[in-house]
Amino acid sequence: MNDFITLATSGAHIPLLPIVWFAIIGIELALYILLDGGNLGIGILSLLPQKEDNRSLMLHVVGPIWDANETWLLVAAGSLFGAFPAVYAIGLNALFVPAIVIAVGIILRAGSFAFFEFSEMKSLWTKVFGVGSLLVAIGHGLLFGGLLSGIKIVDGHFGGGAFDFLTPFTLLFTIGLFFAYVVLGYSALIGKIDYALQVETFPRILGASVVTFLALLTATFVLPNMSYIFMTAWTAAPTSYLLYLIAGAIFMTSVILGYNAIAKKNPEQMHFFAMLIFVLGYAGMVVGLFPYIVPPAVTIFDVASPDSTLKFMLYGIGPILPIVFAYNWYLHKVFGSNFAHNKEGEGY
Amino acid sequence: MDLVLMLSRIQFGATAAFHIIFPMMSIGLALYLFVMECMWLKTGKQEYYQQLRFWLKIFTLSFAIGVASGIPMAFQFGMSWAAFSNAAGSFFGNIIGFETTIAFTLETASLGIMIFGWKYVSRTVHLIANGLTFFAATLSAFWIIAANSWMQIPEGTHMDLVTGKIIVDNYWQAIFNSGTMTSYLHTLLAAVTATLFLVAGVSAWAILRENKTREKVQFFINSIKYAIVVALIAAPVQVIFGDILGVIVAKHQPAKFAAMELHYDTNAQGQGAPWSLFALPNKDNNGTSFAWPSIPNALSIVTTKTMTGEVKGLNDFATNEKPTAIESALTYYSSRIMILIGFAMVAIALVALYYWRRGKLEVDTIENHKGFLRFFVWMIPLGFIAVEMGWMAREIGRQPYMIYHNLTIAQSLSSNLNAGIIIFLIVAIVAIYIALFSLLVHFIRRITEKGPDFNATI
Repeated sequence: MNDFITLATSGAHIPLLPIVWFAIIGIELALYILLDGGNLGIGILSLLPQKEDNRSLMLHVVGPIWDANETWLLVAAGSLFGAFPAVYAIGLNALFVPAIVIAVGIILRAGSFAFFEFSEMKSLWTKVFGVGSLLVAIGHGLLFGGLLSGIKIVDGHFGGGAFDFLTPFTLLFTIGLFFAYVVLGYSALIGKIDYALQVETFPRILGASVVTFLALLTATFVLPNMSYIFMTAWTAAPTSYLLYLIAGAIFMTSVILGYNAIAKKNPEQMHFFAMLIFVLGYAGMVVGLFPYIVPPAVTIFDVASPDSTLKFMLYGIGPILPIVFAYNWYLHKVFGSNFAHNKEGEGY
Repeated sequence: MDLVLMLSRIQFGATAAFHIIFPMMSIGLALYLFVMECMWLKTGKQEYYQQLRFWLKIFTLSFAIGVASGIPMAFQFGMSWAAFSNAAGSFFGNIIGFETTIAFTLETASLGIMIFGWKYVSRTVHLIANGLTFFAATLSAFWIIAANSWMQIPEGTHMDLVTGKIIVDNYWQAIFNSGTMTSYLHTLLAAVTATLFLVAGVSAWAILRENKTREKVQFFINSIKYAIVVALIAAPVQVIFGDILGVIVAKHQPAKFAAMELHYDTNAQGQGAPWSLFALPNKDNNGTSFAWPSIPNALSIVTTKTMTGEVKGLNDFATNEKPTAIESALTYYSSRIMILIGFAMVAIALVALYYWRRGKLEVDTIENHKGFLRFFVWMIPLGFIAVEMGWMAREIGRQPYMIYHNLTIAQSLSSNLNAGIIIFLIVAIVAIYIALFSLLVHFIRRITEKGPDFNATI
């Protein structure tokens, strides 16, 4: 059933709507990881030893936007539930352990923001914020790593065990994603906290970047050996060309970022480059996965909702998404860099 | 019953029972806040501004806990009810997708502006954000109720027997099925009344505290009065909507309706079905051993609006089409408690109005009416108990179906579930929720004790 490529070259009719929804969910998830990834990185960094004031400032930077950012996860999950119900069902059935890790992390984060403001034990809630962020970051790695590692399906149902997701690939992927969030967190904070002035900051960013790079690179080579479908898919045109292109772009961006980090130049551009690498890596993952959605057997065409649903969802959600982008952009504009410096009358 | 099925039901029930409180509070408080901001901008009075600032703090807390408690619920659709999600995703998942994309995104973004935007946006933008928060909260409720109502009355769709999946034939009919709008308005009114009783109760508690100023007492007396005004409108309308919804249930889910009334024997032609306030099922579960006071023909009148209209009894449904004996009893008692609370809230609002008109709710006189204040403190959970009871009657009464006449609850379960893991998760969820709830109560007390900041200026 894998032969999308055969299908494409045979000139047969390719159903378009599932591809459109695959792309939409891909974009929603990318936005989530990009927007919340930085917040998670900030949370993880807050656990490092430092002034308590810095930690409060971190919560203060993330406070107004984290909820709107985190909503993108729910948006992607909702779209997935409607467009590819079997993936939502099988995925959460198989990967409930990582899902619980994420859920606990989100609960801790939500609690920390709400209670921090009214509590006298501020340092307790900054810790809860840090631990919550850490759990969500690890949960992401386990969830997506587990999905990419493959899910055992018997008669259309999940047929494996609760800890099947723990593969070498998943561990490498989790380590890579975790440190990628750390880099994003650092780059988001550079303009807002006096981090750029500290001696240890740049070596740490460099270290985290190197770990991210090595872990994800190794993971990329481990995966096709674990799951043979990727070997076939990745070496066939046009996927292979796209993957080479993306790999080249990641390399170029990394060189520029690395040079800037070592030469301590343009710290304000760091966030942009870090995000670019992230988007490119993510695009590589999506291209490499397509047309599979639950490897190694299920493609998007196998599990898409009927065309009537996909169309209706497109009419309902399609025109709304640009509006959602617009007010999220406004939100980020209002609570941009000047927000962090102004602690007066921050709300409540 | 299968152990895993029972545990999964308990797990979902515990999650939903806790979660439902907070969206309800969000809707009620968002309305209160929006009215206060409109009044403030219209009259320019500081008093409304202080109301807005103070209750916004409580809103922030309840919203955060709503987010936190909702995530495990969304995950459980896949984790525990994969077969349901797979079969019904083409409609149910689609509507959940609408809820997150169209409503929830708007709510989180506008709430961010509302809480943190005081110094960063103009008053008009702030008012718009406030209005959008309320609008998004009600819109979110609409999609959730539409999805739930479709599970109760699945119109506009059919089950494809070959693939075992729901196919949508008519979206309009499925979204606006016979139950949607009534259930939606019933839910909104419940949210508003329950929350305003909470506002009045918390305010009464604040007035009873030792540490207070005249200014603070005046502030909380105002809160009580605003709450009474809205409750006086909402509570009686709610009773009417309850009745309309009952008739819809009787028509589309007659077995549930029979359980809600503990009505066992179909009334013979030409004879009306009686109604009683309180009844006990007999040992054999095929009739009542006690029913008081039995009012002749009343059930026929309420249900069919005729003297002797037929109301089908539980004994005339096949076993696999009606709730079990225990489920029927739970449905009956929960709906009875809900109805009693509904009437009690109308009465309490009227008593409060009497106190108000007699000049007893003024800064100088309120000290003489501590009993009144204490009573309102006790009434804080009242509306939320009604919410829980109504929701239980709705969900237990439709057993054994997940999607009425389409999919049973047993067919909805995930494969490969493990009873031990579910028990662990139930314990964990309950522990987390108890912790969240205790923190919420602690911080509401703290915020209320501190009272509004009268020096806050914009």
